[in-house]
Order: sequence, then C-alpha cells, then structure tokens
Amino acid sequence: MAIDGYHFLDGASRRVMRAWEEREPTPDSVPWTPLSKPLSQVGVALVSSAGIALRSQPPFDQGGERVNPWWGDPSHRVIPREAATQDIRIHHLHIDPRPGESDLDSVLPLRRLDELVDAGVVGRSAPRHYSMMGYILDPTELLRDTAPTLAASMIQDEVDLALLVPV
Amino acid sequence: MGLVARVLEAAGIATAVLSFIPELTASVGTPRVLGIGYPGSVPFGAPGDADGQRAVLRKSLESAVEMDAPGSRVDLPFVWPGEARVPKPPTPPPIARAIMKRPWLYLKLLRGELP
Repeated sequence: MAIDGYHFLDGASRRVMRAWEEREPTPDSVPWTPLSKPLSQVGVALVSSAGIALRSQPPFDQGGERVNPWWGDPSHRVIPREAATQDIRIHHLHIDPRPGESDLDSVLPLRRLDELVDAGVVGRSAPRHYSMMGYILDPTELLRDTAPTLAASMIQDEVDLALLVPV
Repeated sequence: MGLVARVLEAAGIATAVLSFIPELTASVGTPRVLGIGYPGSVPFGAPGDADGQRAVLRKSLESAVEMDAPGSRVDLPFVWPGEARVPKPPTPPPIARAIMKRPWLYLKLLRGELP
C-alpha cells in the first residue's frame, strides 16, 4: 500500500512541498547504522517536531515567526520519559495543537512506549526524548547545533534506535 | 527530519522517520522511511485511541528493526478514516498571511529562496 500524504495538505502547501521534493539533490550516499539486536533489546528515543515544551520550559518562539514568517525556532526541548499530557504545551503555528495537548500520545507516545517495554516487546525507553518545532525553512542551525546535541545525549543514554516523527 | 536522521545515523544511532509525506522525507536520503496515512497533527492517531496509537508505534519499531538497506521505505498499513475530521491549525500560519498580502512571495517559497 503506497501512502500519498500530500492529500492532507492544502493546494498551495502541496505545490511548495512537491517543488522542494523535486529540487532536493539526491545525496551520493545514505548514512547507515545497522540494528543488530531484536526489538526486545533495543533502547528507543522519540523525536517529535510538534513543538512540544514542558510548561516549565521556555516555549518555542512563535513571536519571532510572527515578525518574520520565513523564520522558525530551530531549538529543541528535552522531554523526560515521565512527561504527561498535563505537563506540556504545543507551540507550532502549522499544526492543530489541540489533539496533542489533549493526549500527548497522539504526537509523542511516551505512555504507549512504556507499555511496549512493560510487555517485553521493546527493550528500553530512553530517559530523555526530544521535541523540535518543524517549521524550519533554513535548516542550517538545526543541523549544526540541534542534531549533534541530540546525537551526543542519545549516545550517553545508550539509545539504539531513534524514531523521528515530523508533523 | 530526514536531514536530522542522517546526522544521528552518521553518529552511530539507527533511525527511522515516521512521515505523513514519505516521498518528501525519502527525497533527502533518509536512512529508514516509514509512511503513515495520518494527518500531520496526529501521527500516532486520534487522542484517546490508546490501542491505535500503540499499534502504530509497535509497527513502526518492528519495521525499523527489519529494514536492512540504507534508504529503505515501508508504508505502514494505517489509513485515516475518510469520515474523520482532519485536524488543521486554528488560524492560518504567518507565512500564509504574508503571502496573501504579497502573493509574489509564493514564487520565492516555491523556488526555496528565502528573503
């Protein structure tokens, strides 16, 4: 079954994203880290681009994007394994924040991951999970600062597999 | 997210990207792409649907472990029910309003030129 996610987008957004897809240079190589363990021994971290921040953390900068609509906040937030729906807010002007704010697991399924660990399906849930805000037209800062920071903390947490979830 | 996945993968962490636009995610050379037929605001399914969310998460992780070639793509067997509401942002994002005021900026966006 082939998925055509473009049908969820309005016509203008669809044209922009199709144009980007066509313009994207095909990379010479794809980096690869093999997963040589069964899932029942794998440590997992989740990364969402839904703009999730704990209420105790600074929100993603929506004011900056309102002033300059071509800019998006490239920072990230650490979301601890124990975080629950009532602990978070969603700061993202391009999605509907209400489903995730009424049930965090619809965007960042920390409870569902706990359940799969308890059932012996998955090895471990990392102590730290992550959120970014996905509307970033220029990824320079994200790739220079945020991505290597995530990599370093995942290595520290002995994460084997990161599941990244763009919104 | 595909570009972030490439950085993590190069640092020694296996990755999978669960994307509602798998074509776009795959186009940047993403190591493992999982397609999901849900709208962007709810990648794991509707709020309150614990069984559905768990099924998507489990299938994502199981598929990621099975994928054995760089640049693989697997589309998951989950489709948003046709009659269900598709969540949308409550107000148009700033870029949409900027383009309504100055429509020629849309061409810049299409070309990927940032002012």
